Amino acid sequence: ITILESYEQKDLNERINKLKIALKWYQDDKEHAFEAKAIDENIRLLQTQAQFEKEMNQQLVGLPLNETVHKCITTNHPNKASKLKSDFKIPDKRFWWIKLKALVEMRDWDELDRL
Amino acid sequence: MSHLGNTHSSLNVTSLRDLARKELTKVLDSVRGKKCLVLDPNISGPLSLIAEFSLLKEHGVEKMHYLQSGPLETELKSLIYICRPQLHYMKYIAEHIGHHQKDNLSSSEYEYNLFFVPRRTMICERVLEEAGVFGEITIGEYHLDLIPFEDDLLSLELDNTFKELYLDGDYTSIYYAARALMKLQTKFGLFPRVIGKGDCAKHLADMLLRMRKEVAVDDPSSTLSVSQNIDSLIILDRSVDLITPLCTQLTYEGLIDEVFGIRTSHVEVDSTIVGPTSQKPVSATTTTPNTASTTTQPSPPARKKKIALNSSDKLFVQLRDMNFAVVGGVLNRIARRINEDYEERHQAKTVVQIREFINKLGGLQSEHQSLRTHTGIAEEIMAYTVTPEFNKALEVQQNLAAGIDINLQNDHIEEMINRQVPILQVLRLLCLLSLVNGGLKQKSFEFFKKEILQTYGFEHLQTLLNLERLNMFIKQGSASNKFNYVRKHLQLIVDEVDEQNPQDISYVYSGYAPLSVRLIQCVTKGGPTPIGYPVGANAAANSIAGGGARGIVGWKGHEDALKMLPGKTFDEVQRHDDGAIRSKKLIQGQQPRVTLIFFLGGCTYTEISAIRFMAQQDEGQREYVIATTQIINGNSLLNSVMQKIDHLGHSAGGNS
Repeated sequence: ITILESYEQKDLNERINKLKIALKWYQDDKEHAFEAKAIDENIRLLQTQAQFEKEMNQQLVGLPLNETVHKCITTNHPNKASKLKSDFKIPDKRFWWIKLKALVEMRDWDELDRL
Repeated sequence: MSHLGNTHSSLNVTSLRDLARKELTKVLDSVRGKKCLVLDPNISGPLSLIAEFSLLKEHGVEKMHYLQSGPLETELKSLIYICRPQLHYMKYIAEHIGHHQKDNLSSSEYEYNLFFVPRRTMICERVLEEAGVFGEITIGEYHLDLIPFEDDLLSLELDNTFKELYLDGDYTSIYYAARALMKLQTKFGLFPRVIGKGDCAKHLADMLLRMRKEVAVDDPSSTLSVSQNIDSLIILDRSVDLITPLCTQLTYEGLIDEVFGIRTSHVEVDSTIVGPTSQKPVSATTTTPNTASTTTQPSPPARKKKIALNSSDKLFVQLRDMNFAVVGGVLNRIARRINEDYEERHQAKTVVQIREFINKLGGLQSEHQSLRTHTGIAEEIMAYTVTPEFNKALEVQQNLAAGIDINLQNDHIEEMINRQVPILQVLRLLCLLSLVNGGLKQKSFEFFKKEILQTYGFEHLQTLLNLERLNMFIKQGSASNKFNYVRKHLQLIVDEVDEQNPQDISYVYSGYAPLSVRLIQCVTKGGPTPIGYPVGANAAANSIAGGGARGIVGWKGHEDALKMLPGKTFDEVQRHDDGAIRSKKLIQGQQPRVTLIFFLGGCTYTEISAIRFMAQQDEGQREYVIATTQIINGNSLLNSVMQKIDHLGHSAGGNS
């Protein structure tokens, strides 16, 4: 429930705080190890997004991870995309799919060729 | 609504509609003078099946509005609200009244009447009390429950029963269902036998038996006699068979529902569909169930066209239950026939012949029109079914249902996630995967969960938790594969399907026989027909042993398979105090037996088709009447349990 509340929070910091509360809840419960991990990941994502947002002048907060990576590539920040890939352990397969899509969208055939 | 007039069913369903109509006029007449009707958008659809606009007008309804937030502008002083007992509606009403009070200090000018469908609830009254408007409103009930769609199809039109029952544990809809069935019993007599499967179904059956006892206690003189034509009630719990709705429906009507979404037997399509344009059909099905249907508005919005799908359309009757693969051919044949009929005019020489032709022309033209509509719809569906995504998904589904190459399917689903196909599609497949295997292996379970969260957004964490709670998407337990056994035992997979000339109900999914309908077959016939026990012998044995319900076999012989499915199994005999013997005599009559089937938590159009097919096979020996809480498909099923945060991207992003 706290997760839902967190999405109602408009302010990023508030949202992260709420998520942290939810995280505590789940960490106390052994059965929900996965959920705890997912929330933790979500918090990290939100933080990274906020940081990138400042650097790239792009709206990122709240997007799913895939879209974030996608945005990074289309706006010519391949390093950031790779960073996300390693930080969040995106499987190679999926990463290439995202990259492929993004590059096609940009009509960056040179880069595509190099793949 | 002439389509309900031709009662080829021995159960007179039309009388239910008349009853609902009568009560509606009573509701309307309870308020004098001209009045304004304020409707719950979710009710307007069903209501339009009960009464047409002219009837409302006859009873003094001048204006109609949807119940929405915000002030309600009307010059009429008498207001009638008709809505489901839902809390947010109460808030709207309070808001309306508040506005009126502010506008002109003496609110007594307005007269408020509120009718709950189908029952009032304490909690709604509390909300009104807290808003300080309870005293302003006259409260009543409008007992609209089972709405006849067709002669053999009744629906309660409660949109969210699946979620309420199995996720929230809210049993109100069971109560509504029991009241509705009770009404049927008063009308058509006691169901001699109540058979069912599933925990919630058991609840319903218990409640039904209790209600009957209560009636008997209240008024001993009005004991119900055993029904003369209904031989049994079969209650099926949706949780027993979740696999069926998750598969893509392959009948014509089913596909229309998958692609466009059918609401209260109407479908909304682009009016350009007669000259079809390629529009993304997927988006049509993902609209939330709350988008107001425009049934009662006299003029539909410009671009969308509403088409009634019911048995008044002769062509649709022919097509609806067919496998889509044959629909094209049939349309072609009919087109040719109509053309020939038109050609007849050249042969008409005498005046009599010409007059004959003119008489036929009207029918011919309407036939032509409906042909055009259905060709348009079929083409649109065709465009959808040839897409690689559709076929891939279908292939995965069929392999899963048949239990072939399970591991390969994992890769396919992973690829679909990577391609970012709509999340509903993916979830449908994943749930199917989990259901047929009794769960996923720990490693792939977590892998898929991570993939979904990262691809579609973290808010779906809640969706995944919901699905887990529903046992639809789970980690593999120690138990062996139950579905394998059920599949084998009930012959759910039929390899050779002749779609042109179906022999078995499995044609509706081109190979997979819906589990739910197979179960019904077990009850009524003792098993799938091809290898089933000799029906006659079983029936004879049963009419001696059973409570007078000839031909109803019950669960006998299938206990093992049933044990593998979730939920309780039950089989109750309802007797009139002294009527057991007498009823048996009545049953010897010529009339075909009617079996009432109640789906708790919704059923799909394919299941309806399959049941109709069964009735055809029985050659008039037995008729089936289907009652359900609502009609669903895989998308609406999952949509109801999905976590929705639609404004997420914008509101959050715009803030930093």
